[in-house]
Amino acid sequence: MNSSLLLAASAALFAATAVSQDLVAVKAGKVLTVSGPTLEDQVILIENGRIKQIAKTSEIEIPWTAKVVDASDKTVMPTWVIAHGTGGIRGSNESMQNVPWLSVADAIDPASTYFEGALRNGVGTVHVMPGNFTLLGGSGMVLRPFGKTIEDMTVAANTGIKMSLMNQRGSRLQQIREMRRALTDVRDYLADFERRKKEFEKEKAAGAIPEDKKWDDEYDRTKRAAAHLVQKKAKGWLYVPTAAEVTEALRMTQDLDLQIVLGRDIDEAVAKLGRFNQPVILDATIEYRETDEETKKDQKICTAKMLADAGIPFAMTLGSNGPTSYPWWQLGTLVRNGLSRRQALESLTVTPAKILGLEGQLGTVTKGKLANLQILTGDPFDATTWVEMVLLEGELVYERSKDPRLQYLFGEEKDKAKKGAGPDGDNEPKEGEKK
Amino acid sequence: MRALLIPSVLTLATLAAAQDKVTVYQNARILPGGAPAIEQGVLIVSGGKIQAVGGASTPIPDGAVIVDCTGRTITPGLIDASFQTTQSYQDLNEQSEEVTPHMRALDCLDPEDPAFTRAREAGVTAVHVMPGTRNVISGLGCAVKTHGTDPASMVLGRDVSMRLVMGSEPSLGNRAIRGGRVDSIYYRRPTTRMGVIWEARKAFFQAKDENTLDGGDPTPNPGREILKQVLAGKLTTFTTARSEQDIRTALRLAEEFGYKTVIDDAYDAHYVIDELKDADVTVLLGAPSAERVSGTAGRDGADPRGATAPLLAQKKVPFVITTGTNPLALDLVREAMFAARNGIPPRLALDAVTILPAQLLGIDARVGSLAVGKDADFVVWSQDPLHPATTPVSVHINGLPVHTASTSR
Repeated sequence: MNSSLLLAASAALFAATAVSQDLVAVKAGKVLTVSGPTLEDQVILIENGRIKQIAKTSEIEIPWTAKVVDASDKTVMPTWVIAHGTGGIRGSNESMQNVPWLSVADAIDPASTYFEGALRNGVGTVHVMPGNFTLLGGSGMVLRPFGKTIEDMTVAANTGIKMSLMNQRGSRLQQIREMRRALTDVRDYLADFERRKKEFEKEKAAGAIPEDKKWDDEYDRTKRAAAHLVQKKAKGWLYVPTAAEVTEALRMTQDLDLQIVLGRDIDEAVAKLGRFNQPVILDATIEYRETDEETKKDQKICTAKMLADAGIPFAMTLGSNGPTSYPWWQLGTLVRNGLSRRQALESLTVTPAKILGLEGQLGTVTKGKLANLQILTGDPFDATTWVEMVLLEGELVYERSKDPRLQYLFGEEKDKAKKGAGPDGDNEPKEGEKK
Repeated sequence: MRALLIPSVLTLATLAAAQDKVTVYQNARILPGGAPAIEQGVLIVSGGKIQAVGGASTPIPDGAVIVDCTGRTITPGLIDASFQTTQSYQDLNEQSEEVTPHMRALDCLDPEDPAFTRAREAGVTAVHVMPGTRNVISGLGCAVKTHGTDPASMVLGRDVSMRLVMGSEPSLGNRAIRGGRVDSIYYRRPTTRMGVIWEARKAFFQAKDENTLDGGDPTPNPGREILKQVLAGKLTTFTTARSEQDIRTALRLAEEFGYKTVIDDAYDAHYVIDELKDADVTVLLGAPSAERVSGTAGRDGADPRGATAPLLAQKKVPFVITTGTNPLALDLVREAMFAARNGIPPRLALDAVTILPAQLLGIDARVGSLAVGKDADFVVWSQDPLHPATTPVSVHINGLPVHTASTSR
């Protein structure tokens, strides 16, 4: 009975994902639970995609029906959760600014290298949103980076509306003005809708409209999403590009249900960020150099460290390329700047899961949660550690030994000719040459 | 800049006194460069030189200043064999001619350049600075320390290399003459890859003719004198060649004229590994972090691969890790870390940014490893230097601290 209930619950939550019916047992040399202490020599038993039991190897008998994943010389930990990203979309920014009725569902490319890269880095959940070059930019989706269709990948749809205070054409004030105007337009529309509804009822009461006729008008299709936003039925994911826009963002939180997504240059407003009373989402660049305009002194700034010192919880994100796209690099940057390992790990697991409202499902290795696990060759903070395998809901979806792109990058020399890469595209030995 | 000089003069006086004291760095893990690690190591420094390096039993002189380095790692100061200063494009690329072998990078070196401050903060104590990449032969490179009051006090090697550039950069944006004055500065050649190679070949032909023919051109030509040194094997050419095609061309030219070359910024070394091995050249691997797991190729179609460093190591092609010409390059120690991630042994990754570049630049008698009698240029790291969370606790040049972490962890 329990299992069928669980199945129903997960089917409702994770529409159209294939939930593995089999028992899976992961033999783990080390388990970084994130929430609790690090465990050694464990077996993680997975049933129907969820963690059923975590026990010491000597204290559990692995059922003979279970598929065994041997990670007894490896480290097992939850997959990373990305609270906000704009990758994996074909064209993340509509050239029109005010398009809240759009959805990333129509632009997600399951074959995008973004998802492939995410899995390779141990990411198990991504919240994909429209880009930052927008005003009201459409709604996002929470996805798992594995699957051939958008339906396969969906964890949650219609997660809220992307909003951006990033100055698009000209001045910062213009963007703020346009944001206010867009929201006022929606409120005016709703007020007008209510007025028309009231008039209808009045006319009906006066007998001008037949008794059996009912008010059947609905919100305009292009207004519905924005209407939900101003009615606080939908969350706004507000991109705050720099410290200068923080005050306006704070003002906006008075009227709307907002999640703050920060840009890079927010160091000057850290003192104010606590007033959002919520965990904020950080830009992928958490450490950078800046030259002081007055003293001309070159200094390193770590925004994550400043937030941690101010006691503001945050979710870290990953860049689309370069070092910031590697979780170990991002975690290392946090620790290098004086944060604890626990703080670093939580910023890519527990905190983003909480922001997505999935803290009961994701983010730690805990009984009852989804079996979204990554198997690492070593410590997640080491540069020499690689993601060996990824399990999403108990299903093995990534194996490093079968990763074609890594095989190409690190493959034998003899493979290179058949890959046909390189600017000349031809490395075949010439006729008569040896080898 | 003037305001900055006054305090630095003051501190120098006090530091000179500190330099004469014997300082002992104890209980550190010492990675001496080119030699195995020493656990519980002792490093003794005085007079700006290394007096002793050894294990826990190394005798400690009386009255020495003791610095406890428990949990820390000490390495030689790192050496970047292809270093970018923040000098502008115009300052590093002489535009009057395409072939300017006699231009010296040393002549436009600014000791106050913020690039040197950043280098010191990252544990880099010596660098090789070359003129820019917009000329076919752009001039002479110098090896300098990253700290000093004037260029002369920084110099380790005055003329250690001559830079030659392959590929599209020397012809980038150049225009052929269409009407107008032939000697106008608005027209520059070469305009093609072929033209680039021809300019280089022409220069070597002329220098060679003077070497072999009786008399030769009587006009004094300082650039030709440099090329003659190159042809005589007295000066090493650093050929910047990124793509497979350009690396092959670089090797062909060197063979044709019989000069010694190093391949700089060899992103595509992976694809020409056998040729590199046969030519017996050293490779400068610019920014191993630039390797992309997926995405498009870089400048000149170069396609850096993670396997490059391990393959070079496996085939025993000597290589050195640099930050190269990549504007997104990380701190040098992180570039070594990426090479280690991609599969070369940690010791080799560190050697590739310490002793190996010192040997390549001919400055290994003074720097590059922790050995008795060498300059006391070293870094105390918070932990293993190849860990992403490591940070330099203190950086020393001639025994003096030139950077100290603001918060010790």
